[in-house]
Amino acid sequence: MNLAHLHVLLNHFPTIGTVVGFGLFLVALVWKSEDLKRASLGVFVVIALVSIPAYLSGNAAQLILEGAPDISEATIEAHEDAALLAFVFMGLTGLVSWLVLWQFRRLSNFVNWNMPAVLLLSAVTVGLMARAANLGGEINHPEIRPDSVAGPEAAWLQTAAIASAFVFDNPWVWPINEIFHFVGLCILFGVVLLVNLRLLGVIKGVSFAALHQMLPWVIVGFVINVVTGMLFFVANHAQYVANPAFQWKMVLLLLAGVNFLYLTVYDEGWALGPDDNPPRLTRVLAASSIVFWVGVIFLGRWLPYIGSE
Amino acid sequence: MESFFILLEQSSLPAWIREGGTLTGYPLVLFLHTLGLSVLVGLSVALDFRLLGFAPGIPLRALVRAYPLMWAGFALNAATGALLFAADATRHFSNPAFFVKLVCVAFAVVCLVLLRNVVSRKNSADAGPVDEGRVGMRGKVLAASSLGAWFVAIGAARLMAYINEFIQ
Repeated sequence: MNLAHLHVLLNHFPTIGTVVGFGLFLVALVWKSEDLKRASLGVFVVIALVSIPAYLSGNAAQLILEGAPDISEATIEAHEDAALLAFVFMGLTGLVSWLVLWQFRRLSNFVNWNMPAVLLLSAVTVGLMARAANLGGEINHPEIRPDSVAGPEAAWLQTAAIASAFVFDNPWVWPINEIFHFVGLCILFGVVLLVNLRLLGVIKGVSFAALHQMLPWVIVGFVINVVTGMLFFVANHAQYVANPAFQWKMVLLLLAGVNFLYLTVYDEGWALGPDDNPPRLTRVLAASSIVFWVGVIFLGRWLPYIGSE
Repeated sequence: MESFFILLEQSSLPAWIREGGTLTGYPLVLFLHTLGLSVLVGLSVALDFRLLGFAPGIPLRALVRAYPLMWAGFALNAATGALLFAADATRHFSNPAFFVKLVCVAFAVVCLVLLRNVVSRKNSADAGPVDEGRVGMRGKVLAASSLGAWFVAIGAARLMAYINEFIQ
């Protein structure tokens, strides 16, 4: 199985997943079921995470397909830009969904802006995903391609190409982006470490509910690093796509993300008082979270040195 | 001074770090340096956020227990930093960003030491927003300075790799 194959596999998660999550969310709204609402919010967060490798593997597929007969490069580029736009809105939907779940954990209630915001964002995302999927399908299926090839429609839509040119034309952009990537790492890892040290029992005298207030900083760090990381990738994807350290970094990132989502919502941790001993499952989760993030840091630091195969 | 640095670079350990290969040697020391950074700066930043008023439910005294780990991170980075310096001593010694970094790190570490008194002060064991009033102006200024110093240190450290290109 090569990376192009992986893309064909992965891209179904955001496209079908958003539709499933959206359907679930609509049913939850109609039935007024709190549990189902939270479940669909969780689905949105997980799909937002899976969208990261789905988008990234697309560039690998592009490198493999380049120059193949019967493949239109304009169609690929149109698909790439549509996918990037869909990725951004999927990310926003996941972000707001996480925030609503975090707030629900604290208040045991939804606040009035919650559902309209998620509804609007997820509806837009479903539309953008469908567009990206449709343009993607045209790449390998000439029979469904319209006569006039869907080229990049307008200059402002060529996001990926513009970002790439911006990085290469301005030599200070890459170093500044790296600085923000490190700052984001410190914010994210510091709070994750503090919370997990409490869940391991190394730090005591503070309830998990009190530390839970700190969790949005993890998201702040994460967003900084996804944005700066995407800029690195879009500007220079050849350095990353075939790099095993980068691929494993993304795998660990997914695991760490799902772990963090669970930490945000689960009941056992929430009940942990200031001097309680954490249950075994909690300690396992906390230890694995630290291992995943240290692994992400290790692979990130290592990847420029091994390069692409 | 110059000749000492050249001698230092050519000794066996720094030479191994420079030429040690892709997994061991330079990348390994660099990873350990990043790990120490994440622990020390990460926990310090989390502490600063608490002192600046975020998550007021966290009792300050609970954070005293993060100090041994932060010092472990500092020790790791002092050691790996010395190794990285020795590997390229002459180049780093002539790099202005390196000195900016050192000054900022020293400043941030002083802030951290001073903040320990704020964090471990008596009567702050009770949880809740009551704690917040006890941080005081001095604590908040120290926390904000610490945040600023860490971020400038990170910026200067990253620019060390590029600054010679930009100056020329």
